[in-house]
Amino acid sequence: MIFNAVEIMTPILLAALGGLFAELAGVLNIALEGLILAGAFAGILAGAASGSLVVGMLAGALAGGLLAAVFTFFSIRLRANIFITGLAVNLLAAGSIPFISTWMFGTKGVLRFPDLPRLPRLLEGVTSGVGFIDSLLFGHSATVYLAWLLVPLALVALYRTPFGLRLRAVGAREESVIIAGVDAVAYRRIAVLISGVAAGLAGAAISLRLGVYLPNISAGRGWIALVAIYLGYRHPIGILIAALLFGFTESLAGAAQGLLAIPGTVLLGLPYAITVVAMITYSALRARGLRRRRFIDAHF
Amino acid sequence: MKYRTNAQRGRSFKLFGLVCAALLLLLPAAQPAALGARETATEADFSVAVFVPGVVEGSPTYEMLVAGVRRAAEERPGTEVRVIEGGFNQAEWPQSMTSLAATQDYDLIVTSNPSMPEIAAEVSLSFPDQRFLVLDGYLAGNPSLYTVLFNQREQAFLSGYFAGLVSTSSMEHARPGLRAGLLAGQEYPIMNRVIRPAFELGLQSVDPAAVLDFRVLGNWYDAAAATELANSMLDNGADVILTISGGGNQGVISAARTKGAYVLWYDSPGYDEAPGIVIGSTEVKLDEAAYLRTLDAIDGELAFGTGEVLGVGDGFVGFDTGHRLFERHVPQQVRAELEAMITRLRDGDLRLEMPTQF
Repeated sequence: MIFNAVEIMTPILLAALGGLFAELAGVLNIALEGLILAGAFAGILAGAASGSLVVGMLAGALAGGLLAAVFTFFSIRLRANIFITGLAVNLLAAGSIPFISTWMFGTKGVLRFPDLPRLPRLLEGVTSGVGFIDSLLFGHSATVYLAWLLVPLALVALYRTPFGLRLRAVGAREESVIIAGVDAVAYRRIAVLISGVAAGLAGAAISLRLGVYLPNISAGRGWIALVAIYLGYRHPIGILIAALLFGFTESLAGAAQGLLAIPGTVLLGLPYAITVVAMITYSALRARGLRRRRFIDAHF
Repeated sequence: MKYRTNAQRGRSFKLFGLVCAALLLLLPAAQPAALGARETATEADFSVAVFVPGVVEGSPTYEMLVAGVRRAAEERPGTEVRVIEGGFNQAEWPQSMTSLAATQDYDLIVTSNPSMPEIAAEVSLSFPDQRFLVLDGYLAGNPSLYTVLFNQREQAFLSGYFAGLVSTSSMEHARPGLRAGLLAGQEYPIMNRVIRPAFELGLQSVDPAAVLDFRVLGNWYDAAAATELANSMLDNGADVILTISGGGNQGVISAARTKGAYVLWYDSPGYDEAPGIVIGSTEVKLDEAAYLRTLDAIDGELAFGTGEVLGVGDGFVGFDTGHRLFERHVPQQVRAELEAMITRLRDGDLRLEMPTQF
């Protein structure tokens, strides 16, 4: 169950980490769903054409980045409403991919690539002697380790570099940053591009693992990634925990179907119920923290 | 940061206005194309609309539906066929069907889905002269409808029986103990009351101690989630999975390929999806049923107000045993035992009645 949870969380973690950059820069990237779709499509096409999974992942990242550039053009350059632009990007991806697919392959349905290499599993056979640790860390798809790796990278980039400091400042106090001579717009663009690249990687991770592309392959993971950003206190470590929570609850719901006599449809609601509880708990804790801070500010 | 002047903004608005104006001008120009299609339909001796509750491409069931109706139309000169895709939003189907019937352009509306008889019956209240041929569903007594239901009890039983034979065979991925999986996209009446119990009955016909691991995906498209559910089933000891989960089927294949297991397909031959992994496939000859009953409707011989159940004995439900990949990957003994069971069903030695009320 833990093993499956880690595999399930991977695309959510990738997309959410990227989305965090945009979020901290003051842009709510609701186009993540469409960016994942674009990455999944481009990733598997390039992977199948080149016979290389690395090329597939890079193509997924590139496609996500390009679509994110479209998003920045309209939302940041032309100052279009960010929600409408994000939704438009989602619709653009969902609508244009079947068109391209029909043009290239004569179908807008399932695209199979039987000769595509399988995603390698790393650290297979390695054991710590503790089942939980083994399931968490060893024998997973290569993309799982990529996602693990991006957590400390995001942490360092956001909290240990001048770039990260400025990017967070753009999101927190844009006026102060502009007075200090920082190009806030450029930082926002870069942040959205990073989120596009990460979402593209998430999409490629999904399609390359399956070896197929099919409509709606993202299946709402972009939206879940957005929730994970907030659930994770807008921090890479928090996002990792939130993504793991999503993965674990989904894995638990799947496994419970085989163990309990409760109807599967009821158990399928479990991840969402846990998400609601987690969000309420998060809001309550945050409100309590804010109240405490205000009290300290007022009295000391 | 670059700021645009009012003059620049004004030019942008003008350009936007021009594009809008051009679109408005082009809209009436596009209209005759749609009207033309309708006029053609009404000028025909007999006009048929095929309402697809979904999209045709990528759906073998709906491809068969359209192919069957088109084949009938080709055999009766003067018959026009128009295909209308209703999309995946089930909530929109009643309105789409109502709009279609409201045109009064079609002598017959053909559709296929277990939920469509009720929708067609609802539409028939407003348009009692409109005739409907609904496949894969059942509703008798409405003078506007003729329904065809396939015996999915026999179909699922055959799947379960074959899964049992494979699981207890000496095939490469067969494991000790008979445990098979069934992954459904959603729970719905026919799944819960017909397919699942009949699949389990088929398994237990091979070994009474057989265990069915039933899981629900919750949708018809999330292949990644289907992979994890299939992984969980395989980890629990299943070695064969029947998948009826739309796009999720691809996820089951992915899991079976990685872990070494077999997959069963439903409704249409799926051997080419993953040779050696998709090891068996039941089939429903929906195209043949659509063809024959559309012909009957065109000839005025379809008894609207009634319905029928077609099964193995009628030749409309079966198991695709003639495929080269089936012959290559399934041992002779398993094939022979399956053929014997199909013969029993065909000859009526074994009767599995399909309920018509759910």
